[in-house]
Amino acid sequence: MAWTRARRRWAWALALALMPAALALVVFLTAERRHEPAPLGTPVNVRLEDFKVQRDAAVVPAGTVSFRILNQGPTTHQFIVVRTDRAPDKLPLQRDGLTVNEDAPGIDFLDEAGGLDIDDRQTLVLRLAPGHYVLYCNLEGHYLGGMYAALTVR
Amino acid sequence: MRRSRSAEAGAASATQRTAAGGRSGIGRLVPRLPILGDLRLGRRLGWVIPVLIVLVTAIVGYNARAIAQQRGSALVVNIAARQRALVERYTKDVLLVVDGFQADPKESGEAVRQPVDVLLDGGSVRAPQGDGSRVEIPPARDWKVRRKLEQDRRLIDELIRTGDRLLDGGRADPRYAADVTRLRVLSAQLSSVSNDAVQEITQQTEASLSRLVRIEIALGLLSALAALALGLLLRRAGAEQAAQFRSLVNNSSDLITVLAPDGTIAYQSPSVQRVLGRRAADLVGTALGDLVHPDDQHDVSISLTKLAEAPGATANFGCRLQHEDGSWRHVESVCTNLADDPRVHGLVLNIRDVTEQAALRKSIGELYHNLARRSQGLVDLQLELIEELERGEVDPDRLEELVRIDHLATRMRRNAENLIVLSGVEQHRRWSEPVPLRDVVEAALAELKEYSRVQVAPIHDLRLSGQAASDVAHLLAELVENATSFSPPITKVQISGDPAGTGYVLEIEDRGIGMSDAELIEANRRLAAPLAADIAVSRMMGFHVVGRLASRYGIKVQLRHSWYDGVAALVLLPAVLLTSAGERPAVAPPMSAGGAVSPDPLLPAESTASGWQQRAYLPLRRHATPAPNRGEDTGAAAKAGEPVE
Repeated sequence: MAWTRARRRWAWALALALMPAALALVVFLTAERRHEPAPLGTPVNVRLEDFKVQRDAAVVPAGTVSFRILNQGPTTHQFIVVRTDRAPDKLPLQRDGLTVNEDAPGIDFLDEAGGLDIDDRQTLVLRLAPGHYVLYCNLEGHYLGGMYAALTVR
Repeated sequence: MRRSRSAEAGAASATQRTAAGGRSGIGRLVPRLPILGDLRLGRRLGWVIPVLIVLVTAIVGYNARAIAQQRGSALVVNIAARQRALVERYTKDVLLVVDGFQADPKESGEAVRQPVDVLLDGGSVRAPQGDGSRVEIPPARDWKVRRKLEQDRRLIDELIRTGDRLLDGGRADPRYAADVTRLRVLSAQLSSVSNDAVQEITQQTEASLSRLVRIEIALGLLSALAALALGLLLRRAGAEQAAQFRSLVNNSSDLITVLAPDGTIAYQSPSVQRVLGRRAADLVGTALGDLVHPDDQHDVSISLTKLAEAPGATANFGCRLQHEDGSWRHVESVCTNLADDPRVHGLVLNIRDVTEQAALRKSIGELYHNLARRSQGLVDLQLELIEELERGEVDPDRLEELVRIDHLATRMRRNAENLIVLSGVEQHRRWSEPVPLRDVVEAALAELKEYSRVQVAPIHDLRLSGQAASDVAHLLAELVENATSFSPPITKVQISGDPAGTGYVLEIEDRGIGMSDAELIEANRRLAAPLAADIAVSRMMGFHVVGRLASRYGIKVQLRHSWYDGVAALVLLPAVLLTSAGERPAVAPPMSAGGAVSPDPLLPAESTASGWQQRAYLPLRRHATPAPNRGEDTGAAAKAGEPVE
């Protein structure tokens, strides 16, 4: 088959047209597949927003608890879990009077998910013993603004 | 001869064609870029340069954008960061006023609002330099930044409302404690949100800058590739042109020779094999003079020496070069001094083999010469016959007619002599003794029909070399005839003489219609460098004859505008041709064609039996009527010397 000028031009056009498709296929096959991991233990969906912490369960069974956190903003927040017998709105404050003192007696700091930007999702998996817990954001003024919630583990 | 336009004047101008003919668009434009010099680029290469230019422009543009963005972002971060301090100041002002102290919470409240408004909606702020100038801030575009700033604005509104409530109610208000706490909490939240916004802006800036840097790196790589392609294509184009040039040089019938400052051949084109039967490599390092005919060496040496003193100048000369087989080839050379050009650093000779043309010219010259000699012999016989008739004639009317016939024949004879001069054969008539200059002038006048219109001012008592006398008389006759021919019959032509530093100047001035500047320049060019016989010579024969005769003896002839609207011809006779009366003259050597003194001494006059030689210019032919204003008796000239046979 003789490669005439017109035929060569068509071949080039076809190659150019197929190139994006081939590229897309390569990306599809090689890209890391994003999928939600299966929740461990009891899932608790937590929604953070200015300045509230909303969770879909206030009481959970003891054991592994997966906090699936979504920050709805509109600002950055953090999610902290402490075990305490104090009331959620009576946590001890630091000297500035604006943030919770997590080193204070009666406060058992467990873990945190920090730097949650708008629409960020994160899962925090904790093994929780029976007791009372407080979930809150400890950025300046956020706790005092009402950004906390209680959780009971039985 | 004076009024005829030069042959070259009507020559058609050469049509210039661009090498890029047939291309279009940038492909046609790019090969003309001055930065490329003489290098001609193909169509493919023509697109590389614009691509490179676009890439470099994009890099520069992105750089400028990155710098501007960086500055703007720094300013935005600075504005956002200031907000924390402003909020604290407002809170403090409110509490101070509530506690009874002096403060201005209204002003500080406005100050708190302004940065957020500017960052969200765009506007101008004071420049951080503190020089009073303002900087325009564009509205925030990123959605995250906008959401955080909007939250910031909401909190500020609430802060101001709480502050206003405190200011209105004071300590007596039952909500006082709660409002103070709320004020402090809002202040803290604002700090947090402000920090968050600043952080977001900083992250966005870093991401944007990082994106710009990546784009710039990509553009830089593309530019490097384009530059590499350009270099390769340029190299190929250069190699192709070099090969083309080499092929032209190798296959040219002309020789290209570069002479080093010491006169040795620094480069010789391979075409020398075809012209001189020699290998170019064998000639490199040898002296050019070794190839030049001994008779031509002096002229060539002088021409090259003069040229070597004038960088950038060009000179032409002809000579003979020895072929490998021992024969001599006539060549003409155009030589250019490129000593100042570091790429050449020498004299470039473009040598053309004109042996065949020289032979043809010689044979034409001989043809001229033989025909002219025959014509001249017949005219001489005719003149003898006319003279006999004049001597025996007593009727004045018949005598006058005979005199007219006599002059006509004289002009015919001079015409024949002109042909002999143009043929390149020198006159055989020479005088052994010097001849008075005024007799030479008289002899020239005797050739003219309108001699009565010529006024000769007293000429100094000088003697002209006998060898040059006939040719000088011929030269003057041509100039005077030209003056009488191209001036009204009622006007006079004046001849005067005056000593000059390097000889003696004879001036022939007419009151004719004159010549234009261009004609004068062309005529002087012809006089200074007479050409070989061609069509132009036949049209302007007089100037060529004068030029040829002048060049034989180093005489300079120049035409100028006369103050009387005509033309003044100045003839500078060199001192070497002249002696004062009674003084033994120096031997006046004939000049070679190039103006150099010939190594030969005076050529011996050849003996011939033809009548024209006995009828030389000198002694003078008698005139039927004496010319007015004549000087001495022309018979004196006859005594000055005799023609040598």
